[in-house]
Amino acid sequence: MIEFLSQKISWIDLEYWFYIFNDLSLLYLIVPFFVLELIRYAYLKRLNANVIFDSLANIITFGAFFAIEILLGILAITKLYFWIYQNISLPHLDLNWATIIACIILADFAYYWEHRMMHRIGIGWATHTVHHSSPHFNMSVAYRFGPFDAIMPIVFSLPLVMLGFDPILVLLSEVFVQVFQTLLHTEIIGKLIKPVEFIFNTPSHHRVHHGSNRQYWDKNYAGIFIIWDRLLGTFEPEVEKVVYGISEPLQSTNPIKVFFHGITRFFKKLKQIDGIHNKLLAFIKPPDWMPSNQKIPKS
Amino acid sequence: MKNSTLLFRSLLVIILLAGGAHLVTYAAQNKDSITTNEVIPDTENTAPNYETDYIVGKWIVNYNSDDYKGAIVYDIKKEGNKFNAYTYEYQDEKGYGEKAEKTKTLTINSFDGYKGKGTYKIEYEGETYDVQCNIDMVDENSFKLSYDYYGYGDVETWKRFKS
Repeated sequence: MIEFLSQKISWIDLEYWFYIFNDLSLLYLIVPFFVLELIRYAYLKRLNANVIFDSLANIITFGAFFAIEILLGILAITKLYFWIYQNISLPHLDLNWATIIACIILADFAYYWEHRMMHRIGIGWATHTVHHSSPHFNMSVAYRFGPFDAIMPIVFSLPLVMLGFDPILVLLSEVFVQVFQTLLHTEIIGKLIKPVEFIFNTPSHHRVHHGSNRQYWDKNYAGIFIIWDRLLGTFEPEVEKVVYGISEPLQSTNPIKVFFHGITRFFKKLKQIDGIHNKLLAFIKPPDWMPSNQKIPKS
Repeated sequence: MKNSTLLFRSLLVIILLAGGAHLVTYAAQNKDSITTNEVIPDTENTAPNYETDYIVGKWIVNYNSDDYKGAIVYDIKKEGNKFNAYTYEYQDEKGYGEKAEKTKTLTINSFDGYKGKGTYKIEYEGETYDVQCNIDMVDENSFKLSYDYYGYGDVETWKRFKS
């Protein structure tokens, strides 16, 4: 076993496999699945202008997000990650099966915490609310991002680099977690067999995460493994029919509105909060937080 | 759930996973160092292959970088089914040589007499990296060694060294 786990892997092989799983999955899995979902919408007589424009808005927000991600990614990877890797990291880990598996699981764990923070702090929710604001649930929703969605992953993946994992491996693992997540945005797949539902994040678990039903708020943050939610007290099974969206619906498919509505709402809230100290607190306090002497504003 | 419980469980996950990865890497490196300390089989002890064994011997490479100006002579030996290159001599720009400590710099894992693949040790900002490299024979007295590591690449010309 140790023999297998310590077997060295070449970068060429690793990048090849991640290319197949991360990059090409868009072609052989995600796009065909989305087409299938459109057919299903048509069959159920739910294919309307709102679904189409909402999906288009999702793709456009992804374009904007991707541009920011590339810019931040290049800066972070070439400068920050490698600086930390060279200066303040544990002994560098070899590239073998043990480090690849550990890195993917740790990247998933980092994703859990990053995702939880996105929901539980004001500035996090201001950007991440974009992802949750669609009243639909299909693969295109996986591409619906807010303007600062690329920042939090950098903060949470840095500890992995400090633990001795190669920055490129960390980045590839993060993308792998994201690609896995993408596949969960579907109503086509019901509940899977119990062992799978127990260990892995599944479409059923992720539907709960996107629910605006009160009992589904802030639940099932997982990326690949739902065990993180079970372990850290945020798991909720899918029981009641899920109503998708956010507590204060956006009701727009305008991509610009979609992309910026979280930030706009956050700044409106800041305007209504008295005092600099309280305004600053609103960035790190939960999204529904208001100073004790003030009421939550209606947007 | 209490914050202390969240912290404790999270640290446990991190320690188990990162610790496991470090343990496996440590065990593998230990094993590697034991292997390299073992008696290296002589060329004579392995079956000769006249199509590939001509690469055995001393080769010189000229460097003209900020880190090193001059040449390094390597000694390529056949060890088992692989060819390993060890540093043999450093030469300054005027050609004055100084015996080098024997350090394994290149391992050619596969070689068919014309092309090969291997692992080459490169140094960058004080760190040593094992990078994948390709060998392309130009003629029996010279070959090209090329590598590309995250966009940092080079092509070196290795020439047969006649002292």
